[in-house]
Amino acid sequence: MILFILIGTFAGFEASSWAAPLESLLPKKDLPEGWTRVEGPRTFTQKTLFERINGQAELFLKYGFQKSVFAVYQGKKSRDDQMEADVYDMGNVLQAFGVFSRFRNEDRPGGFGLDSFLDDHSALFYQGKYFVMLYAPEPNQEILRQFSKLISSKISDPSPPPKEISYFPKNGLKPGSVQYFPEGLLGRQFLKRGFQGTYVEKVEVKGKVEMKEFHLFLAILKNPQQAMSALEVYKEDLSRKGRVLSGGLIQLEARALKGEDPYQGKIIVLQKGFYLLGVVGFEKEEEGGNRLAEFVREVKLPAAESGASRAR
Amino acid sequence: MYSEKMGRRRFLKRVSLALLGIFTAPIWKTSHALEKIEKTPALEYRTLGKTGLKVTAVSMGVMNCSDPAVLLRAFDLGINFYDTADCYMHGHNEEMVGKAFEGKRPKVFIQTKVHAHDEKKMRASVERSLRRLRTDYIDVLVWHGHSSPDEVSDPKLFEFMSKMKKEGKVRFTGFSAHSHMAPLLREAAKSNLHDVALVSYNFTHSKGLKEAVVLAAQSGIGIVAMKTQAGGYKKEKMGGLNPHQAALKYILRDQNVSAAVPGVTTIEQIEQCAAVMGASLSRNNLNELNQYQSFLQGRICTMCGGCLGECPYGVFRRDLLRAVMYHEGYENDSLARDSLQRITTQDVERCSECPSCSVICRRGIDMKAQIKMAQEFMVQGSERIVRS
Repeated sequence: MILFILIGTFAGFEASSWAAPLESLLPKKDLPEGWTRVEGPRTFTQKTLFERINGQAELFLKYGFQKSVFAVYQGKKSRDDQMEADVYDMGNVLQAFGVFSRFRNEDRPGGFGLDSFLDDHSALFYQGKYFVMLYAPEPNQEILRQFSKLISSKISDPSPPPKEISYFPKNGLKPGSVQYFPEGLLGRQFLKRGFQGTYVEKVEVKGKVEMKEFHLFLAILKNPQQAMSALEVYKEDLSRKGRVLSGGLIQLEARALKGEDPYQGKIIVLQKGFYLLGVVGFEKEEEGGNRLAEFVREVKLPAAESGASRAR
Repeated sequence: MYSEKMGRRRFLKRVSLALLGIFTAPIWKTSHALEKIEKTPALEYRTLGKTGLKVTAVSMGVMNCSDPAVLLRAFDLGINFYDTADCYMHGHNEEMVGKAFEGKRPKVFIQTKVHAHDEKKMRASVERSLRRLRTDYIDVLVWHGHSSPDEVSDPKLFEFMSKMKKEGKVRFTGFSAHSHMAPLLREAAKSNLHDVALVSYNFTHSKGLKEAVVLAAQSGIGIVAMKTQAGGYKKEKMGGLNPHQAALKYILRDQNVSAAVPGVTTIEQIEQCAAVMGASLSRNNLNELNQYQSFLQGRICTMCGGCLGECPYGVFRRDLLRAVMYHEGYENDSLARDSLQRITTQDVERCSECPSCSVICRRGIDMKAQIKMAQEFMVQGSERIVRS
C-alpha cells in the first residue's frame, strides 16, 4: 500500500516536472535583431535570492516566491546597450499579481501579460504564476517591449487574473491602483491579507477644488466568524486609539463599523461572508458611501457561503 | 417618493445606501480632535558612530511595510531612523516614506541606498531618491549589498560618496551587507571610509561577527543591525513561542549596535518592537531564544555544507532536507515537491531500511527524523493526488 502511495507520489512529482523549466522562459534564440544573451541563465532559490536582489528578497518571500531565473542580454550598439531580465515563479497567479502590484508605479500598460507596466528603463508584467521584470540601463522602451512579448509568449500558465480585482468599482478608481497584500492589509495585523484600490474624489479646500485620494479595501479572512472577530478587534482598537461612531448602521449594526482611524481617517467597514470590506480616508461621506455601496454589490461570495451569510 | 431636485438616480443611490445602513445624516464633525494615541515607549537613543546622530535604538526597516499608517505610528511612538532603498518596490517604498514624512523631515533620519554603477547612474539614482523622498538631503546613503572586502575599500565608490557629501545631497555614507559581514566589517574598520554599516546581525551569529562588530564600532562606524529576528517563523508553528521581542533585546544588549531596523509590516509589529526599548533581556527571554535556536537548528538544514559522513547508497540527502525546510519552515509545499524531483522510490526504500543515518549533522539535526518527515510529507502529497 505504502509503495503504491509512493509510486503515486512520484507520478505526481513527475507530472509537475512536465511544466517547462523556468530557465526556458528566458529566450536564447530568436532574439530581437542584434541582441545576444551574454550572462545566465542563473537560477535563485529562497535561500539565494538575496544574492540577486539583496534585502528586497524578503518582500518576495512574503509573496510566496518559489524560484527565479536571471539573464543579461547585450545589444550591438554599445557596451551599455544591455538588458537584465528576471522571471520570478511566485507559486500562483494571486501572488504574482501581488508582487506586480507592489512594483507598478503608475498606470503605464505595455500591452503584454495579464497586466503590465512599461517605461523607458523598465518593463514589468505578470502572467500565470510568473512575475517578470526587465531593466535597461539605457532608455530603450521598444526593446523592453519586444523582450516582454517574447517571454510572455513562452509562458503557458493560462490562469486568469485574481477575480477580486474585478470587484472594485470602476467609477473613480485610479487606474492600476489595485494592490494585493499577503498580510498586514492597511498596516493592521488583524486584517490579514487582502486587496486595496485607490479612488479619487474632488474636495474643496479653502475655496479651491483639489483631488483627494481614498481607498476601498477587501480583507480576506478564513471564515465569517474570523471576519466578525477581526471587525470586533478593529472596533476595540478604534475605541482606544481613534473614534467609533454609532448610529446610521441600523440594519447592519452587528456587522459594520463606522469611525475615525487616527492614521487612515474616516472609515466604514462591513462584514460580508468571510470578507471585511470597507472604505477609508474619504472626505465626503456621500462619495465614500457610494463607492462602498457599489463595492458591496460587486463582491461575490461562493454560493454556500452566500447562503450561510444570509442565514446569519 | 423623490423630489425633482433630488433626481431619480440620486434617490436610488440614497435608498440603496440606506438599506445597507451606510448613508446617514452627518456623523462626522470636522473639528473633532482624536484622542491622543496611547502608550509611548521609553525611548532609548544611541549615537550612530561618528555621524553623531542620536538615533532610536529600535528603528524601522521600511521595506516590507504595507501602509504609510505604519510609518506614522512609528513616528508617533518616537522612532526616528528609517531604512529604505532606491530599488524597493520599484521606488514605491521611498515614495511612501517621502509622503508619510512630508512636513516632519527635520524630525526623522532617513537612510536609503545606491547600487554601484558608473558615476552618471549613481548620481541619477541619488537624484531619484531625493525626489521620491521629497527632501533635498539624505541622512545616510549606503551602497547596497557589498559582498567582498575589495568593494568596501573601493576608492572610486568612495570618491562618488565624497562628492555627494560635498554637494550637500548626503550627510553620511556607508555600506550594507547580507553575507560575509565579518571580513567586510574588519576591512571597513581599517579603511576608515565609512560612517555607517548596515549588516545582518542576530542572536544566531558567530563570535567572529560579534568581534568584527566591536572592531568596526571602535573605529567609529555606526552599526545598524538588520535581520535581527533571524527569520519569520510564525508563533503557531513554534508552539506559541514568540521570541521576536527577545531577539531584538538580545541584539540591542550589544552596545556596539547603534540601532536595529527590524522589518515590520504592521502597526502591531512596530508597537511590539518599540516596547523593547529600555527593557532588559530576562532569563525568560534567554530561554525563549534558546528554544528558538533549538527550533531553528533542530528543524532546518541551513545548507552549511558541514555534513559528516556520506550515504552509502548515494541518496540525495540535501534534497530531502531541503524539502523538509520548505514544508516545515516556509510552508511551501510546491517548492518542497520540486526539491524531491531527484528522489526515487528506491531511495525512499533504502532510507526506510537503514536503522540509522550514516550522515551526521554537526549542528545537531536528527537526520533520520528529517528523512522520516520528508517521507511523511511525500505520503501526504500522494494521498492528495489519489483523492483528486
